[in-house]
Amino acid sequence: MKELFPMKQVMGFVFSILLTTIALAVYFLDMSITTGMTILLVTAFIQAAVQLVVFMHAGETKDKGAIYTNVYYGLIIALITVFGTLLCMIWGYI
Amino acid sequence: MDFFDRFAIPHPSPVIYASMVAIGLTVIVIIAGLTYFKKWGYLWSEWLTTVDHKRIGIMYLISALLMLFRGGVDAIMMRAQLAVPENKLLDAQHYNEIFTTHGVVMIIFMAMPFIMALMNFVVPLQIGARDVAFPRLNALSFWLFFMGAMLFNISFVIGGSPDAGWTSYFPLAGTEFSESVGSNYYMIAIQIAGIGTLMTGINFITTILKMRAPGMTLMKMPMFTWSALVTNAIIVFAFPVLTVLLAMGTMDRLFGTHFFTTTNGGMDMLWANFFWVWGHPEVYILILPAFGIYSEVISTFARRNLYGYKSMVGSMVIISLLSFLVWTHHFFTMGQGALTNSIFSITTMAIAVPTGVKLFNWLFTLWKGKIEVTTPMLYALLFIPTFTIGGVTGVMLGMSAADYQYHNTMFLVAHFHMVIIPGVVFAMLAGLTYYWPKMFGFMLNEKIGKFSAWIISMSTLLAFIPMFFSGLDGQARRMYTYSESTGFGPWNMVSFIGAAGLAVGFALIVYNIYYSTRYASRDIAADPWDARSLEWATHTPVPAYNFAILPHVNSSEALWDAKKHGHELFPGEYEKIHMPNNSGVPFIMSSIFFVWGFSFVFSLWIPLILTTIGIFVCMGLRSFEKDHGHYISVDEIEETENNLRGA
Amino acid sequence: MKIDNSLPLEYSTEENSNKILGFWIFLGAEIMLFATLFSAYFTLVDRTGTGPTGAEIFEITPVLIETILLLTSSFTIGLGIHAMRIGNKKAMLTFFTITLLLGLGFLSFEIFEFVHYVHIGAGLQTSAFTAILLTTLGTHGAHVTFGLFWGLFIILQVKKRGFTPETANKSFIFSLYWHFLDVVWIFIFSFVYLKGMM
Repeated sequence: MKELFPMKQVMGFVFSILLTTIALAVYFLDMSITTGMTILLVTAFIQAAVQLVVFMHAGETKDKGAIYTNVYYGLIIALITVFGTLLCMIWGYI
Repeated sequence: MDFFDRFAIPHPSPVIYASMVAIGLTVIVIIAGLTYFKKWGYLWSEWLTTVDHKRIGIMYLISALLMLFRGGVDAIMMRAQLAVPENKLLDAQHYNEIFTTHGVVMIIFMAMPFIMALMNFVVPLQIGARDVAFPRLNALSFWLFFMGAMLFNISFVIGGSPDAGWTSYFPLAGTEFSESVGSNYYMIAIQIAGIGTLMTGINFITTILKMRAPGMTLMKMPMFTWSALVTNAIIVFAFPVLTVLLAMGTMDRLFGTHFFTTTNGGMDMLWANFFWVWGHPEVYILILPAFGIYSEVISTFARRNLYGYKSMVGSMVIISLLSFLVWTHHFFTMGQGALTNSIFSITTMAIAVPTGVKLFNWLFTLWKGKIEVTTPMLYALLFIPTFTIGGVTGVMLGMSAADYQYHNTMFLVAHFHMVIIPGVVFAMLAGLTYYWPKMFGFMLNEKIGKFSAWIISMSTLLAFIPMFFSGLDGQARRMYTYSESTGFGPWNMVSFIGAAGLAVGFALIVYNIYYSTRYASRDIAADPWDARSLEWATHTPVPAYNFAILPHVNSSEALWDAKKHGHELFPGEYEKIHMPNNSGVPFIMSSIFFVWGFSFVFSLWIPLILTTIGIFVCMGLRSFEKDHGHYISVDEIEETENNLRGA
Repeated sequence: MKIDNSLPLEYSTEENSNKILGFWIFLGAEIMLFATLFSAYFTLVDRTGTGPTGAEIFEITPVLIETILLLTSSFTIGLGIHAMRIGNKKAMLTFFTITLLLGLGFLSFEIFEFVHYVHIGAGLQTSAFTAILLTTLGTHGAHVTFGLFWGLFIILQVKKRGFTPETANKSFIFSLYWHFLDVVWIFIFSFVYLKGMM
């Protein structure tokens, strides 16, 4: 029975729950926008990384270079799209 | 009867009626011909169900050439209308429909498939593979593109053409200002074709990363394959943006949402933003494979290794990243502040640098080379100065403050045609001529080919250089006429003559194909150009399995090494070869997609739901399928090889 | 077909290995799909027209339940793949079934949430904000729905055919898809709901 619940997966799950709970703090506690956003960003990205590496076995095979490059590239362009859009449509607008 | 009203053209004309008749007749002729010559079985088993990358490449090619004709006719009509002031050839509505379809057809349904044709045919051969990583998916990509193209192309005879420009900005493209179904066609046909393209992106990255011949490290790949890898990476990250955008546009038009409306919080400029987040990488998707072709052609016909392999690779990788950083230069004048505009101005000017690196590398390859001016080489040589003109005007446009003068004038139109035509079109024609013997077993006529190249390039200059001047003088783009007092007349007349020249040039290419098919010798070498890379190490015609024995490679010019330095390309014995089976599912699923798209355009909800279910049923069937392909036996390989070698 | 027995079954042939890489690349494209939706969301989030804002309509309880359901389902499918790797077919099928049931639970809550929003005047046609909210949540939900059918088909195939390189490969790829949906949900949970309720 125990071999059906590997330590890595269980710890990953527990850690994810912990990160979710921390993120919930921004709802239940009073804090400034900046603090709140920072907490959300940090917890979200860490939890995403846990999923990718622990659960999705991203680094497991000889394709890991291609896989990580793909994920980083996607992430960078995603961030550029999000922040570039906000810049053009809202922040940088006169 | 009311039900059928929705399919009527809102703005008919004699030309449109004539086209309806022509389309109807052509369909009848094709069906009759296939029936009379009993070719339905052949068509089904050899072409509609093929998963062979070479056949798929040829189908893309035929589609691209047909669409080139459609887009070209649009162009000639526009130029004819503008040749003299206050012309009455086309009214404003028709002019709008024509420049819209010209743009969409040329970019999405001509240039993209042309590139796909060359990538499909050449890349697996260049890396020494037997096919792409996912042959079934490849077939699906083609048929989705084909159905998207068919859907778009019937718009002008059923329901009405889109008329909001190839960029389809809101609020013009919304239901308030574009009441006909034209813009629905735009949203949905491009969506279908775009899904196919995204699949190609995934397919080719996997193929290039995982299926190279032994010994071919990434830095030993031919340059066209490198350009294909980078291009497909851009496709994977750019096309999803288009998917979401077109979906939002569809929802605004058909479901009453407020993404891009001018009320209830909608933001019309958000369309332009996302369009160009996709649109700018798209033009790099077009140009990078073209650059890849030039690298192949220039090094082959200068009889030299490509100069600066590493910087060629590096520049393409940098271009791919930068291409996602410049999109706002398409709407500098839309209201952003100076800081935003300046940031994008800098990134835009930066992207010219790696392009310049590539140009210099080609020049250095030519320097001290033993240049042989064949038709493909002629296109490459003509490309260098013509593209440079277009390119430097791009840097001019990239300066945001100056762009307030140039934006949406004919200066802009001249710029992008002067980069796309010498950049992409010449490369496609060069690639077509270069790879034609491998595809079809005979050479295109050199004399006619070179003559066409000269006519096309000189006509390009004649057609578009005047537009720089009329644009600076104030002629706006997308205007169906102008008055005599503006003084734009002479410029436009010269453009018209250039356009007529282009028509002649392309007609000559068609004639070349006919003439060569009829008269050219079929007795040509497998490597007629004395080339340098693996695709020329195959027989002509290329057998289904490509290589009887997978090649072993030790440099970036594997074939050249084999020919000149005695390297053994095909060591070992024949073994049985595992090949994928043909399948009708891609064609059938795409046909269902066509009906789905048509239903969506006309808001026919029951057929829409039924076809949606049909699409998912196809996917479900695929999931449960147990198809492991077939094996080609050693005896069969031996027989095929002996036949081909004998010939 | 050459099977490399030193690797887990799902990677063990060249074709399998290609399919897994291909799927990762597809996930890269999906990152961009959701990035575009998020970009639109952040741009339109305050453009509520005459309709309600996020703070006015979001409720923490259903959101929390949806999050726990999906997060747990991501855990159970991970256990399912592990069971597959140690060759335990019964455990793998059990874990996969639990995963899909949790996913179905998630979807039920989400459908209920949508119906509720429409009732209180936050429908698809109300404002730019509601349009992008429902489209983003809806795209994620549609992906989950597709996943339920796909997962079911895989369970049926493994039940009938056992662990072969093909079924192992398909199961693993499905798990990648399912994990990815949870990753997207993490961002929805944080930047749509929590941020909206701050």
